[in-house]
Amino acid sequence: MGGLQKKKFERGAATNYITRNRARKKLMLSLPDFRRLCILKGIYPHEPKHKKKVNKGSTAPRTFYLMKDIRFLLHEPIVGKFREYKIFVRKLKKAYGKTEWSTVERLRENKPTYKLDHIIKERYPSFIDALRDIDDALCMCFLFSTFARTGKCHVQTIQLCRRLTVEWMNYVIASRSLRKVFISIKGIYYQAEVMGQLITWLVPYQFSHDHPTDVDYRVMATFTEFYTTLLGFVNFRLYHSLNLLYPPKVCRAPKLIPGLQSILLFLIEQKLSALSASLARVVSSAEEEEAELDQFPEDMEKMEAREKEQKQQEAQRKMFQGLKFFLNREVPRESLAFVIRCFGGEVSWDKSICIGSTYDVTDETITHHIVDRPNIDKQYINRYYIQPQWVYDCVNAKILLPVEDYFIGVTLPPHLSPFVEEKEGDYVPPEKLKIMALQRGENPGVNEEEEEDEEEEEDDNADEEEDDEEEEEEEAEEKNLKEMEDQRSQGKSLQVKVTPGKVKVENPARLEQEEKAEEKRLAIMMMKKKEKYLYDKIMFGKKRKVREANKLAAKRKAHDDAEKAKKKKARK
Amino acid sequence: MAAARRLKRVAVSQPGFLTLKPSRDPSDLVSGRRKRVNKNKKKNWNKHSDINDVEEFLEDVRHQERTTGGLLSEKSDDSLFFLDVGQPKKAEQKAEESVEGKKRKGKASRPLRIDLILQHDSLVPPAKDVLSYQQPNAKKLRRIAQKAEQLAAKGVVPRRQRQLLNRRPVDRTAKKSATEANNNPDREYYDMWGQESKESADPWYLQQTGKRQVKRPEKLNEKPSVLPAVEVIAPGGSYNPDFLSHQALLQEAHDVEVKKQKQEEKLERQLAFNKEDKATEETVLREQVEGLVEEENEDEEAAADDEEEDVAVGAIALSEKKTERQRKRERAEKIKEQQRLADRKQTDQQQQLFQLRSIKASIRQREQKTKSNQIKRKAKQEAQKSQPRRLGKLKFQPQDLEVQLSNELAGSLRRLKPEGSILKDRFKSLQKRNLIEPRDRAKFKRRLKVKYVEKRAFKEIT
Repeated sequence: MGGLQKKKFERGAATNYITRNRARKKLMLSLPDFRRLCILKGIYPHEPKHKKKVNKGSTAPRTFYLMKDIRFLLHEPIVGKFREYKIFVRKLKKAYGKTEWSTVERLRENKPTYKLDHIIKERYPSFIDALRDIDDALCMCFLFSTFARTGKCHVQTIQLCRRLTVEWMNYVIASRSLRKVFISIKGIYYQAEVMGQLITWLVPYQFSHDHPTDVDYRVMATFTEFYTTLLGFVNFRLYHSLNLLYPPKVCRAPKLIPGLQSILLFLIEQKLSALSASLARVVSSAEEEEAELDQFPEDMEKMEAREKEQKQQEAQRKMFQGLKFFLNREVPRESLAFVIRCFGGEVSWDKSICIGSTYDVTDETITHHIVDRPNIDKQYINRYYIQPQWVYDCVNAKILLPVEDYFIGVTLPPHLSPFVEEKEGDYVPPEKLKIMALQRGENPGVNEEEEEDEEEEEDDNADEEEDDEEEEEEEAEEKNLKEMEDQRSQGKSLQVKVTPGKVKVENPARLEQEEKAEEKRLAIMMMKKKEKYLYDKIMFGKKRKVREANKLAAKRKAHDDAEKAKKKKARK
Repeated sequence: MAAARRLKRVAVSQPGFLTLKPSRDPSDLVSGRRKRVNKNKKKNWNKHSDINDVEEFLEDVRHQERTTGGLLSEKSDDSLFFLDVGQPKKAEQKAEESVEGKKRKGKASRPLRIDLILQHDSLVPPAKDVLSYQQPNAKKLRRIAQKAEQLAAKGVVPRRQRQLLNRRPVDRTAKKSATEANNNPDREYYDMWGQESKESADPWYLQQTGKRQVKRPEKLNEKPSVLPAVEVIAPGGSYNPDFLSHQALLQEAHDVEVKKQKQEEKLERQLAFNKEDKATEETVLREQVEGLVEEENEDEEAAADDEEEDVAVGAIALSEKKTERQRKRERAEKIKEQQRLADRKQTDQQQQLFQLRSIKASIRQREQKTKSNQIKRKAKQEAQKSQPRRLGKLKFQPQDLEVQLSNELAGSLRRLKPEGSILKDRFKSLQKRNLIEPRDRAKFKRRLKVKYVEKRAFKEIT
């Protein structure tokens, strides 16, 4: 009794949220400016749990922001800059209207600008935070750098994006951190491992732009504005972590003549973008000693395993070392040059395509010539003529694949996605199985298809085979017995012979396995009812998966057979 | 008068003075009778003295100076006279030539008469304007300059110059960097995460002057969605895909398409014309006589309603006061009822003792149910995290799947035709991760109506 009357929507959820329009009014900004500010500061709309409560009884769909976020925005110094810019535009318009060109010039000179550095520092307090969020930045920058300069966005933005992406690619090359490449119908996906973070980005094909109308370019440009700043700072840090100069410089750069500086700078930029030269270091590479891992006395086995793994990785990173590639003019130069250089290969192209070619077609030391046309006129004997997919497939398989499947005019094996990770029991396409076999060091014979089939079986029923072997042994014994019986029935005297006993060779590995299997069986027997139920369920699921995989394999085989038959017919 | 006469006498008495004008008779000067005037007054002196002769002389001097540039008497004989030896022949020829030249050139070469009139014909040079040559404080300035020269010879630099030399050069680049745009392609970066800058000043001061950064709420660092920034396309999206994965992708795209079509069909069905709603003769007639027939029935009904109402009103009016007895009975009945309910409750509770097992079972059941509900809710919440939220008027529309049909697949990288737009993909990805709200393109609203008018020329033809 008594006290003030409680009013609706004055506490609780209704006060925690604010609609977009009210937030805009509170900040005294126009809607585009408000949107820009939110994007730059990383403040996103929020869907309330109880819309009706928040919306003061109405159920109309609205965009809500958290009140605290907006209050945080009030402190942002950039808001003031936005207002200044608004006034600047107004003055400029006025000056234009009055055709006061000197005023226009003066205003232009004093155009208000703002920096995003403090926002980056605030949003990413540590470097690793920034690195985790770099995927988006890379995608956006690569996308914008391929835009035509047609006024959809500022030319300067395009140039900056191009510069940053080139820097990034050069870093990846210098650090040898590329892991996967996938050529899709959309664009090329790359994955690199930088400082323990897996970073994926998507690069569009060149000249593949239709400008969709339902995309808000202003929003995208704002994101790009933020991401260019972020990527620049990340690049700087990454370059310095490798003792590289930033802004990057090409090794063996020509001495600068004062008059020609600007032209030379431009040339250097071009050279960088050609991706064919290595970068200049702060400390020359010879002096740099390779850091070795500290040795810990305990866990020798683990240490050895780790070392082995590391060695393997090192070998993978130098996969193309010593190989000399030449790119024909019809292949995507930048992508291939990037990938080849990432794995230590040397690469060149025709002088007329791009700056930075290091050797000619006629060079006798070229080992691989990458061609993407059905035939080529002049061929050198001492080099392989291969299709570009070989490079990408090698990267994904982490070994040098046999070149025979990728010669000119040969139907290529499918390009598999390296981003799919098969779990146990999943269907694995035969091509991948073959690659896996190659990775294990097995050499598939000439008759590939049979091998494939065998492998499939192997993989599918690995355990069964073991059983089969046992059975075979038993069968052999039985056979012996049967023969003896036959002979006896035929009335012949048994050839009783005492042969010296053979020591049965016991395979310790095998014994161990058997023991393990036995233990497992016992463990299953000892399970509680509840657990058993769960276990059965899991096993059933696995079996189902295997069954499905088998089904797919059968389908594939049928498809292949049909194809083969077709081919044969065609040949006839 | 005497003075003037004296002056004239002086000039004329000078040897070799020539007058240009014929001198007047000296008798003129003394013509008529002399008027006797007392010249002891200045006024009379001024009035009655004759100065004509002096003025004439001065006039003559000025005239001489104007026309010849000096007094004739002072000129040498050579400049005044020459020996006349007849007209030279050449001069004649020249004259002829000049005549011819004149004819040729015409009037254009002759100066205009007005110019000739306005020409300065006096040989006396114009008087110099002394003021234009004078310099104020010339003496002082000269002295200062002398002193400065002396100091310079000694090697002492004056203070003003020293100040200028000591001034720092204006840093043009600093200003440039202040106005440097964010998207400047040559912009510089630095080590942002290198060293933590320590706040040197008093924190209270920084806060009060608005110089300290406001702390970012922790909650803002959470991502609004758990989806990765770059979702890699399914393996069937390879440019040279494996057969089965390509089929799987096609199937997926097909399913999406079928779903869309079904929705469209449903909408069409709902919007379709219902045959039962079609107007027949009967329905038309019924509509026309609506309200004309069957009036009587309605009247009766209305009457019945009225009666009922009357009764109800009467009942309220008729309600009487209860008697004491009635009240007592009612109270007793109430108590009895309460007692009965309490007894019932007690017995029920006692009975529950025997139902313990079933109760336990039901409780267990309920608990299980809540648990399973909890799990379901958790799972739903987890699934929600990766779902796009409803952030505005529009719902998120997923992008069409990028698919190439089997016959569209290119055999080689060279002939590959890229599918879809990455720009759109990125935009949709941002929407999917709840970073921006889905939005329609703003529609163009015409403020003023467009009026179409046929031109007269066009009208005439039609």
